[in-house]
Amino acid sequence: MTVPVFCGIVPPHILEHLVAHAEDDAVREAAERSLALDALNRVHRAEAPSTPEGIVRERVLDTAERTVCDDHHTQRLPGRVVRTEGAAPVPDQTVDRAYDGLGATFDFYLAAYARHSIDGRGLPLDATVHYGQRYDNAFWNGERMIFGDGDGTLFNDFTVSVDVIGHELTHGVTQYSAGLDYQDQSGALNESVSDVFGSLVKQYSLKQTADQADWLIGAGLLAPGVHGVALRSMKAPGTAYDDPNLGQDPQPATMAGYVDTSDDNGGVHLNSGIPNHAFYLAATAIGGFAWEKTGQIWYDVLTGGTLPASADFATFAAATVAAAGARYGAAEVAAVRDAWVQVGVVAPA
Amino acid sequence: MRIQVTRSGGFLGAPRASVLETEGRPDAPHIHALAREALGACTRTPTFGVPDGFHYTISVDGRSPVHCAEPQLTDSQSDLIALVLAQGD
Repeated sequence: MTVPVFCGIVPPHILEHLVAHAEDDAVREAAERSLALDALNRVHRAEAPSTPEGIVRERVLDTAERTVCDDHHTQRLPGRVVRTEGAAPVPDQTVDRAYDGLGATFDFYLAAYARHSIDGRGLPLDATVHYGQRYDNAFWNGERMIFGDGDGTLFNDFTVSVDVIGHELTHGVTQYSAGLDYQDQSGALNESVSDVFGSLVKQYSLKQTADQADWLIGAGLLAPGVHGVALRSMKAPGTAYDDPNLGQDPQPATMAGYVDTSDDNGGVHLNSGIPNHAFYLAATAIGGFAWEKTGQIWYDVLTGGTLPASADFATFAAATVAAAGARYGAAEVAAVRDAWVQVGVVAPA
Repeated sequence: MRIQVTRSGGFLGAPRASVLETEGRPDAPHIHALAREALGACTRTPTFGVPDGFHYTISVDGRSPVHCAEPQLTDSQSDLIALVLAQGD
């Protein structure tokens, strides 16, 4: 079968020409699709501001503006509105968990870093639940959070872990701040900061210190009978699960286990174990509530306006060491540097 | 027709692959039509996608694989992917 498809490297002006002039309907439609995808991708990159956020900041409220929609298993976004800000709980616990998770994440960013919502300017928080059928995923589509119900065999409802909700919304924070490219090491950093602040949302809501926290991502998400405790562990990457159906947690904890792959945008969910573990090591060395000093250092780097979108692990590590020095003292600088040394990103002194 | 679907990405990042052979199936003509429509909406290079979204690679009869990613899947892509992942080996 001959199928007209266009590479991502076909320039937009040629695609536009094809849309306007191609005689073959299939060719024209393929060009239209490529243009639409291309535009979407460029929007995602362009949404990262080129200057530090909030230069012109209007007064924004200290309360979230949440809307939860129900997809009714259709995969047609956004779905029907089922709960808006301030409305009473509904009988559907999935809707209420999403609503509460959005609120917990909003409260965390405001209390810990004086950030108003994911864009720093009070952006309304939208979510869609019951996406697709037995759908094993949750993702951020650039505008809203989307949750599947899980298949019930491997995964439960993706709204059960508040750190997963914090993870997805932090993709929004990254989109509006450092705009880390979602591929290779910058993509693994994008994933890692979502795990870091997702875990901190949970730690903040439970008022846990670094020593008390479980440092798990997606605890409670694995269905009954699956051998594992969560989807990822920042404390011990590679140990979250080991199951006949799910396989073994493939995350490396150090650069010695770095995975070179073209899958998963260059292994963004695999190699994120390395910066995840660095954060855990720094946070436990510094001690106390992890969102206070260590989280602040990571937040300063993410939102400081100088981290390149294509930053690799070494660039990010150097930025966190510098940020620790700018805000705190020698002990914090040493703790952060040692953490990156232990995971093999920074060479020992 | 031999249809291979590989899924990568997602919150977990764990890949999953499945192959469906349509020979001998009573619904083969329907699947062939679905595959033609689905592949027509794919691209030859992987797309950027969205954070934690699934990426799919589809290959028919050993030909060069084509790509699509959430959340921009067409109905035919969604239906074909669901069919192959659910009923393939």
